[in-house]
Amino acid sequence: MGVKILLDKAHIEGIRTYEVYRREGGYRSVEKALKTMSPEAIVEEVKKSGLRGRGGAGFPTGLKWSFLAKPDGVPRHLVCNADESEPGTFKDRYLMEFIPHLLIEGLVVASFALGSNATYIYIRGEYAWVAEILEQAIEEARANGFLGKNILGSGFDCEIYVHRGAGAYICGEETALIESLEGKRGNPRIKPPFPAIQGVWMRPTVVNNVETLAAVVPIINLGGEEYAKIGVGKSTGTKLISACGNINKPGVYEIDMTISVEEFIYSDEYCGGIANGKRLKACIPGGSSVPILPANLLLKTAKGETRYMNYESLSDGGFATGSMMGSGGFIVLDEDQCVVKNTYTFARFYRHESCGQCSPCREGTGWMEKLLLRLENGQGKISDIDLLWDIQRKIEGNTICPLGDAAAWPVAAAIRHFRDEFEWHVTHAAEAVKSNYGLAHYADPIHVPVG
Amino acid sequence: MSEQTLFKVTIDNITIEVPAGTTILNAARKIGGDVTPPAMCYYSKLQGSGGKCRTCLVEVSKGSEKDPRPMPKLVASCRTNVMDGMEVKNITSDKVLDARASIVEFLLINHPLDCPICDQAGECHLQDLSYEHGKEGTRYEFQRRTFQKHDLGPYIQLHMTRCILCYRCVYVADQLTEKREHGILDRGDHAEIATQIQKSLEHDFIGNVIDVCPVGALTDKTFRFKNRVWFLKPMDAHRDCPTCSGKVTLWNRGDEVFRVTARKDEWGEVESLEDGSTAWICNTCRFEKKKTSDWVIEGPRAISRHSVISQGHYQGKIGMHKPRETFTAVHGGRDPKLLMDIHSVSEVNRPSIDLSLIEGPAHSTDFNLKKD
Repeated sequence: MGVKILLDKAHIEGIRTYEVYRREGGYRSVEKALKTMSPEAIVEEVKKSGLRGRGGAGFPTGLKWSFLAKPDGVPRHLVCNADESEPGTFKDRYLMEFIPHLLIEGLVVASFALGSNATYIYIRGEYAWVAEILEQAIEEARANGFLGKNILGSGFDCEIYVHRGAGAYICGEETALIESLEGKRGNPRIKPPFPAIQGVWMRPTVVNNVETLAAVVPIINLGGEEYAKIGVGKSTGTKLISACGNINKPGVYEIDMTISVEEFIYSDEYCGGIANGKRLKACIPGGSSVPILPANLLLKTAKGETRYMNYESLSDGGFATGSMMGSGGFIVLDEDQCVVKNTYTFARFYRHESCGQCSPCREGTGWMEKLLLRLENGQGKISDIDLLWDIQRKIEGNTICPLGDAAAWPVAAAIRHFRDEFEWHVTHAAEAVKSNYGLAHYADPIHVPVG
Repeated sequence: MSEQTLFKVTIDNITIEVPAGTTILNAARKIGGDVTPPAMCYYSKLQGSGGKCRTCLVEVSKGSEKDPRPMPKLVASCRTNVMDGMEVKNITSDKVLDARASIVEFLLINHPLDCPICDQAGECHLQDLSYEHGKEGTRYEFQRRTFQKHDLGPYIQLHMTRCILCYRCVYVADQLTEKREHGILDRGDHAEIATQIQKSLEHDFIGNVIDVCPVGALTDKTFRFKNRVWFLKPMDAHRDCPTCSGKVTLWNRGDEVFRVTARKDEWGEVESLEDGSTAWICNTCRFEKKKTSDWVIEGPRAISRHSVISQGHYQGKIGMHKPRETFTAVHGGRDPKLLMDIHSVSEVNRPSIDLSLIEGPAHSTDFNLKKD
């Protein structure tokens, strides 16, 4: 049984209400932080904890907080990114739905640390009912003196506002989120200036993921050093993984980053193995935008070491033979799944969600989608595969925001590891529309130039 | 006024000193010539523009004197400020040329390539860009996207299929008019310039969207299909206009004024006036004053030597900008060798036809080679 510090109380009856949450030891961190700690000390504690952003990029949170500009007389803001739209990721929804006060508690502490008197939760439009849960939790917190003016007599004022998005994936990118929060079209801004200098209304802003902010609570309760002891290496603390796909027990699991991928998929405590006794074909370990890995590279790294569920181990081997922790959307594909179709589905998503601001992403995502649809329908050509490779290479790194990269990586990885399956869709076109390739003989990844 | 700090920046082996806060693109424009990255969306006179088209990507091989690390990705030169001691590679970097070629490809996959019937042909930035950085063929085998037509009123014609979504016209409406009626609807590859509910664009300065449009997406309805720009004589002229500066370029053929535009500099942008403001022109000047008698003619307009408009060869009378030759400097002092003068073998562009000598409108027969 792994360590649980976020979801340990998530299933207590009535934990959604303030009374039960408080009875179970909630809002202790607010008391500790506001009464005994200075804002700098909290930032220091978060730095010590080694907490990394849980939204996908894995940037050290304490470091991000310390970059926040503090000019005199200019308000600062904390924004909670609850625009969780990555296909395969649903951990934040789970957290907000079952234990909303944990997020509110984390937000109050983080707001105090960063000096934000007006804190925003930007939640995606599809989570309509979750926004109501949060608003209710905020009401309760305010009624009990954990929000509003002069919280716990510390002289610190804080209000939390829930802002509903309209359901655009791009608004999960922090600068697009800021634009959308300001009431504009959700187009990512060109960086620099970074939000830490000029964010919401040109004021210094920190944008953090829901899980990151919730993790501030155990960090304050346990202390940064104690928190850092959970996990391994630079992957400290616990991570919520939303597992889905062809597994026996899909759902949200809290892991302490010391277990192996194999254990995560096959143990009964977590995913419970592949559904219907099928064999594992491939897995996308961190949400749709991270590279897909075939079974052999998923369970063992290219060097033959066991792969673990943490930031370093999942990205071992770079993009050639590794993947990324990403946002923790663990998508498992069994032998009956078609990688081409899967890649097409993702490409369609990115084409639909591209904001259309910069040309490589706007035009490239649409082009990739059309090529993949053609391949999937058995009308493709061998040259289409090389063309796809070329297009993704030209999108990656040339766009304003990471959506271009996110659209390019799945296509690149699918071709890198499953080129034979793509080719089979061309050479066995009639068969490809009726059945699928099955478990490939991908013991060795096919060599393709990395670029 | 405090002294301006000058930063030393090297672009393609050419070093220049520019004030702090200058972007790489503007520093390169000061050098001029081939080392200037192309820009489809950046417009120096429009605040906040740039960064979107990605054609101006450059490689920063040395960040600055203090922090000499190269930047990991190609950066948009229009939105990246120079640092002291920065070294930038534009046309000397294979990565940049490769990226630029791919951007051109991306921009063209959904562009209709209807240049033969497009009024922008001859002064289209996308044409110039594809000519310089594009490939000869396309790898795109699908239907190009199309849009429903939007009517923008009696003066401005919108061809959405040609649009490259540079957002320049949106910035013009934002910054020159009190109320913006048009903007970007939808997203991704179906994003389009439109008014939310069909509405004509009416404001004294809205006509400037035509001048800032890098392609033929926004064209002048009063000039539509009337003539090709390279058959027209650009003449600087002015009038006493109560709303704008009244300083314009007239595009004549014979005595007839075919269209009126703002005066554009060598980067295709509307010129600055002496007082530093931009010479945007009002709708009255642009659309209503189409008689020579409305204007005081100042003289011929200087056109870049590389522009097809200069093919009229207005010798002596119409000045042509000669861009700075940077080839030798970029190649570290090595001189290019002329292998062949194309004019000695080609029948095309034979520099013996002098439009300025032709009385009245020119006809196709005037362009046939005269043997006298």
